[in-house]
Amino acid sequence: MIEIHDLQKEYVEEETPTRALRGVTFSIAEGEFLSIMGPSGSGKSTLLQILSFLDRPTGGSYTFQGKSIDEMTDQELAHVRNKEMGFVFQSFNLLSRLTVYDNVEIPLLYSKVLPAKRRTLVEEAVRSVGLSEKLYTEAGKLSGGQKQRIAIARALVTEPNVIFADEPTGNLDSKNGLQIMEILQSLHNKGRTVILVTHETSTAEFADRIIRMRDGVIESDNPVIKTVLYGPLK
Amino acid sequence: MLVRDAFKTATRSLTHGKMRSILTMLGIVIGIASVIVLMSIGQSAQDLILGQVQGIGSNLIIITPGAPSNGKFSPPASAQGIVITSLKQQDVDAVGREPSVLAAAPLVTGQAEAVYGNNDATVSYQGVTANMFSIRNLSIGQGVQFTQADVDSANSVAVIGPDLAITLFGPYVDPIGKTMRLKNISFRIVGVLSKGGSGPFGVDQGTVVIIPVTIAQQQLLGTSYFNDILVEANPQYDIAFVQSRVSFVLQQDHGITDPNKDDFTIQTQADILSLLSSITSIFTLFLAAIASISLVVGGIGIMNIMLVSVTERTREIGLRKAVGATDKDILQQFLIESVLLTFAGGAIGILAGATVVTLVYVVLNTFFSSVGWVFAFPISAVILALVVSCVAGITFGIYPARQAGKKNPIDALRYE
Repeated sequence: MIEIHDLQKEYVEEETPTRALRGVTFSIAEGEFLSIMGPSGSGKSTLLQILSFLDRPTGGSYTFQGKSIDEMTDQELAHVRNKEMGFVFQSFNLLSRLTVYDNVEIPLLYSKVLPAKRRTLVEEAVRSVGLSEKLYTEAGKLSGGQKQRIAIARALVTEPNVIFADEPTGNLDSKNGLQIMEILQSLHNKGRTVILVTHETSTAEFADRIIRMRDGVIESDNPVIKTVLYGPLK
Repeated sequence: MLVRDAFKTATRSLTHGKMRSILTMLGIVIGIASVIVLMSIGQSAQDLILGQVQGIGSNLIIITPGAPSNGKFSPPASAQGIVITSLKQQDVDAVGREPSVLAAAPLVTGQAEAVYGNNDATVSYQGVTANMFSIRNLSIGQGVQFTQADVDSANSVAVIGPDLAITLFGPYVDPIGKTMRLKNISFRIVGVLSKGGSGPFGVDQGTVVIIPVTIAQQQLLGTSYFNDILVEANPQYDIAFVQSRVSFVLQQDHGITDPNKDDFTIQTQADILSLLSSITSIFTLFLAAIASISLVVGGIGIMNIMLVSVTERTREIGLRKAVGATDKDILQQFLIESVLLTFAGGAIGILAGATVVTLVYVVLNTFFSSVGWVFAFPISAVILALVVSCVAGITFGIYPARQAGKKNPIDALRYE
């Protein structure tokens, strides 16, 4: 589904070039649950941004579902982001003045889904994260855990193939963090590809595979060995 | 994004900050209201002036001394205060003999102090012949008009305007038969004009004094020429034909062989209407142009607030782009917001303008009823106001909207 080869990303800040990615190569199969770990400045967030079409690489190749990112216009990238990708951010990025319904509806506005169909999709997405009773509550009035669940509902509403989650538990307590990871796990179990960036090992180990990064290169790329009876390794 | 959704999203953003939206709109409201008020008042003034001119009759031809002006918008020389003595009694007689002319009457004008007892007023007096009353459709409200015998004998009789009658004699004294003084000459008042009459150039007749042309020339002015000759065309003939005939007669009378060297100007009601219409239209446009300056100021206010809004909502822009919004979607959203602001401002401005125009009409007709102010609320001004407000929204909203659309989603999402 995703193939990257020798991916490079260089920023120039105040005339000083910074190489955030220095030749990253790997592939992700459809339905895989992948965690990308690494300390601050390792390049994991940059990698996620490129994988999720929010940024373009400065070198190497990136092929998504058989099509190279180099061949796609910004408008096409936006279209793929809307149809194929869902986003979960550390800081939720909900519009606090809007209701839960309106927040979850946002991606559908850009896919030109008609209002009647939108309502069904939004209600279904909110139900899937267990917050149907909050449908018309202002997003700003929700707790942190509820906000992130709504953010997941927003990521799901277009029924994307890939969910990108950037430190989704970073602003949550352990209980809420666990709930969020269980939701992501269930999405993976239903066949969705989940790509997670985190610096917490316990969170990363929900995935099937962990890529560890350091200084813009892959340090390790290993599958996670899970004990079926006791849940993920702590 | 569907256009309906774009409007819904924009409306929601604007209603979220109601007070800000209202204050932002205020500039456009004031600008549009100013344009509406000034265009309406200009139109009212135009209707009033043209209505008075139309009142003099469509078969009226006015001969003024002096060569016609070459400029479209310039009045003839005599109307600019230049004394020209080319119109004489023989011209009146010659024109009067022309078969296509029903009647010709001379006119002299001047200003003087009219005095009765302790009351006085500065008035315009008109020296005319008896047939002038019928030529100009002047109707007598009280008493009678003076006769041609009064004119021939240079009798000191006068017909006065209704407002002057009130000024000199008060509302309870019958002015008929009373004597007033004009330049120390006593005139017996034989008639008072009805209300609402108009002069040959739309001059208000309320305060006028009409006296025999002979006494005006001999006693008041000491001249033998006329300021104008008014001609009533025979309705069986086309007015343009009569105009050309009168011109021919005068050229013969004045010994003019080259029509380009005419020493008189012939104008019909249509000519005067055209001239006045041009002048008042330019005046109205001038007023509207001044008012539109406030629209520009209002538009800059919109741009300023939209730029602030774009900065404040950077993270929202980042989020929308992350979930699939294109640059165009974001640009469209902010542009619709600014157009909605200016359109709403325009609509409120039209209502405010209509209110002011109505108030002006009510006040003028209540306290200054003699003005005869007409209510005008031109639809063209309303359409113009709505179009201008939308154009202002696009013009002043495009820059902030482009700024919003160009934002990089990564930077926007990171914005604190």
